[in-house]
Parts: sequence; structure tokens; C-alpha cells
Amino acid sequence: MAQGWGDGLPLIPPTQARVQDFLIAGGRFPDELIAVLPPLRAECTVEKIAINAVMAGCTGESMPLLCAAIEAMADPKFDLAGLNATTGSVVPALIVNGQIRNRLDIPCQAGCLGGVAGPAVAIGRAIRLIMRNVAGQLIGATSQSVYGTPGRVAGILFGEWEERSPWAPLAERRGVQGDAVTAYGAMGTANICDVVANSADGFLDMIAKSMAYPGANGFLPSSAFAETLCVINPIWAEVIARAYPRMEDVQAYIWDKCALPIDWFRPEYRDPIGNLGRIKPDGRVHLVPSPDDVLVMVAGGEGGLHAAMLHSWGTCLTVTRPVASA
Amino acid sequence: MTIILDPTASLVHDIADPGPPAGDLQGRKIAIRIDMLWRSWDWVSEIWAERLRAEGAEVTFWRSCGRTGEEGEQADREYQALLAQSDMAIVGLGNCGSCTSWTIADALTAAATGMPTIAVATAHFEGLARNLAKRGGRSGLRLHILPYPLDILPKEQVHDIARNHYRSFLRDFGVRSGLAEQSAA
Repeated sequence: MAQGWGDGLPLIPPTQARVQDFLIAGGRFPDELIAVLPPLRAECTVEKIAINAVMAGCTGESMPLLCAAIEAMADPKFDLAGLNATTGSVVPALIVNGQIRNRLDIPCQAGCLGGVAGPAVAIGRAIRLIMRNVAGQLIGATSQSVYGTPGRVAGILFGEWEERSPWAPLAERRGVQGDAVTAYGAMGTANICDVVANSADGFLDMIAKSMAYPGANGFLPSSAFAETLCVINPIWAEVIARAYPRMEDVQAYIWDKCALPIDWFRPEYRDPIGNLGRIKPDGRVHLVPSPDDVLVMVAGGEGGLHAAMLHSWGTCLTVTRPVASA
Repeated sequence: MTIILDPTASLVHDIADPGPPAGDLQGRKIAIRIDMLWRSWDWVSEIWAERLRAEGAEVTFWRSCGRTGEEGEQADREYQALLAQSDMAIVGLGNCGSCTSWTIADALTAAATGMPTIAVATAHFEGLARNLAKRGGRSGLRLHILPYPLDILPKEQVHDIARNHYRSFLRDFGVRSGLAEQSAA
């Protein structure tokens, strides 16, 4: 930690022997280049991933997921250069699909967004150490984040509860079947609670209207476009899917209700928003440009009652990548 | 003996030279890169453009909007086309984290063509701008610093700041003109 390599928590020393063991278990060549990471524009090799993963406490079996996650975040669509420097409180959320969830014990049920003891904490932390040590994202030096977020310590890494989802897995809907990781630029997580609704429309109304708050990324006139993500618990999902078996209809419903009237904004906001063509003929401004920009997935506990919303950052576009077999 | 491996990565090769000075403005084509975030930068650059034109330069504005996905690819093509028909570039505004990142990235792109290039940032983000320029391999990138906070000021006050900074901006850009060589008031 005296070298500035750490996050403040104790680290496992990345000895040559430990890193070699990790590389052998991970089955990748150490000098293989995975990505060039901004803001340092540094080469992130398999060896650098292994060193940071050892420090975080990962096992070698996580190597394919770590590599795929880094590849996804380095895609230009993800705008990692901006994300790692922004004043915003953003952190890449990593969503895991496929059987690798079970092999790596990635949480997708109760407490999946934080608090479940297991390997996901170390994997998420490894990603954060890579951002710090390889990409060079350091508060004050490169990152200008006004508040930061707890997710910048151990990441936000969770799975979709595919077995309880009435719809196809998120990654599959995004064109990747099987083991996959989806990187989403998340401005933290926020809760949506409803103890009254008992219908699909009731749940979706509450989700959509809760997501439509004026300071949300999608409403900012500085964002030409944006996405948004909502995580629905399996109890609500089952009710919603009875009325809306097609995911496209769920997205369309949320998109439609997730809007604010332009009159609701103070006058000085109206021109910048209008200049983006965001004011619809009915006088509403939708959080995101189209239903396709509403990402929906199923995860969380069977206690129901809550959904989670993860607002996006800037024009960061979600990227899904397959996770190779170890 | 136990060997501890280094988890960090190295900086890329650095160019400490600021690149060519802007020199004489007469007849030169100047690209000004603005953005969709900062009205204050619109206000500053409109004052500067007026004065640059008065000194004989031809000024073209280009506004950076969405920089990811298809819109981002289109923006990159537009920016490259702008640079191809320009003699020098003024790139701003670094007034937040991500916009400073994009400002410096676009300035580095312009500087890499060999044209006189200057990035503009506000004082709070000067450190970030210099850091990103260095990490981008060009620590010598020309930079002009405006006061902070800037965007919350009224238009007339920002116009005054633009006028007051014009001479020092010219000096930072390496402009060769009588006005630039006068000491600031």
C-alpha cells in the first residue's frame, strides 16, 4: 500500500509464485494483451490482470470472467476514458449470465447487489484494482468524481437469476448466448419499493415513474442519448410476464411511463432539452430515446417488494461479451 | 527470496515539446472545437473568434456531441474532416472530468497531425488536463486556463473574462502578433 497500489483494504502480496499459480489455473499466456485502458492508455496484459486479481484475493478460475469484463469495458462504446475521469459517481456494473454464475458463485438472488459473502467480492475488487493500478484511475489525479461510490471498492458484480426469469437472459437478448458478461456504466444503485401494487401495470408504473427523476442521467441536456437499467425481483417478474410475455412490451411500457412533462422543468432547461429533439409532440421528455434503451433483467430475493434502478452515465453504451471457457 | 510483482502499468512515451506555435494568424484556418455542455465556452469562443477573424483568420466551429456508438463514429469522422481542412486547432472545454478527458483526447488528435494546437480548461480541472496530456504521451500540450467556476456566471461576465484572457490565450498559443506581445493589462 505504501507503493500506492491499494484501495485501503489489506492486500494479498502478489508474489511471483502466487501469480504463476493463478496464471496456470487461468489458462492464459501472461503477455497476452487484453486491452489498452484509459486514462493511462496502458496495456492491460493477462499478467497485470493476474497480479491485481491475486492482490484482491481471486482464484484462477475467475480469469476468463476478468478478461471478458476488461474487454467489454475497453470497448470504445463504453467510453471508459470519460467514465474514469468524470465528476460523476459512476462505476461499471458487471452483469453475469450463463452457467459461469454457478461455477464462480456470482450472486443473483437475495442481496445480489451487495453483501453476499463469496468470490464475487474479490472479482469485483480485482476489476477495481485494475482500474486503479493499470488504467490509472485515481481520485484527485485522474478521476474527478465529486462523491465516488461504494461500488468503486469492490465493484458491482452480480448475475441474472435466469432460472426465475420469464424472459430470455439479458446477454442472450443482446446477442450473446451462454456465459457472458455485460458492462453497464452505473451511477450507483437505488431502490424502488412498492407495497401496494398487485398487477403488472401497477409494478411497471411504480418502476418507470420512480426512474423518471430530473437529475437522472438520461434527462441531462449534456447527454445526447442514454440508457437505463432496472432489475426486477422474481416475484414481480412472474406477475409482469403474465401480462407482458414479450420483453419488448415490458421495455415499451417502462419507456412510455418513464417521462416527465417539459413544463415540469424550469424554463432555462427547455431550450437545451428541446435542441436535442427530446420533447415529444405530447410535451413529454422520456428518460431515454427509445424502448431499446431500457435494459431490464431479473435478479434479487424472493421477498419481492423492491426493484432496483441503475441509472447510466453520460453516453456510455452497454457492452456484452462472451466469457471464454477456462 | 520472495519476488513481489508490480501491478501497475507504465506511462507511454512522452513528448514534452508543445508543438509548433500558431505564428501569424493572417489567412490561417482555425478550427474551434466546442461542446454541448458548456454555454460559457460558447460565449468565450464567440468573443475569441470575433477577434481572431479581425486579425485575418478564418474560423470554423465544430460542436462535439455524443461520442459513443454510431453517433460517436460519425463525430470522429467529422472531427477528422475538420482537422484536415484547418491549419490550427483550439479545443475546449475542460470543465468537468469526462469533458476534460474528451477535450484532451481531441487536442491530442489535433496535435498528432502536427498542427498548432491548444486545449482550454478551467482552473479546477487544470491538473487533470495536464495529467491526461502527460498520460496521453504529450505533456507539453499547449493549455490555456480560464477561471473556475465559469459556467454559473452570467453571459456578460463571461464575455469580460474572454476579453481579458484573449492576450494571454494568444501567448499560450504561440501567436505572433502585436497584440499577443503586449503585456496583459
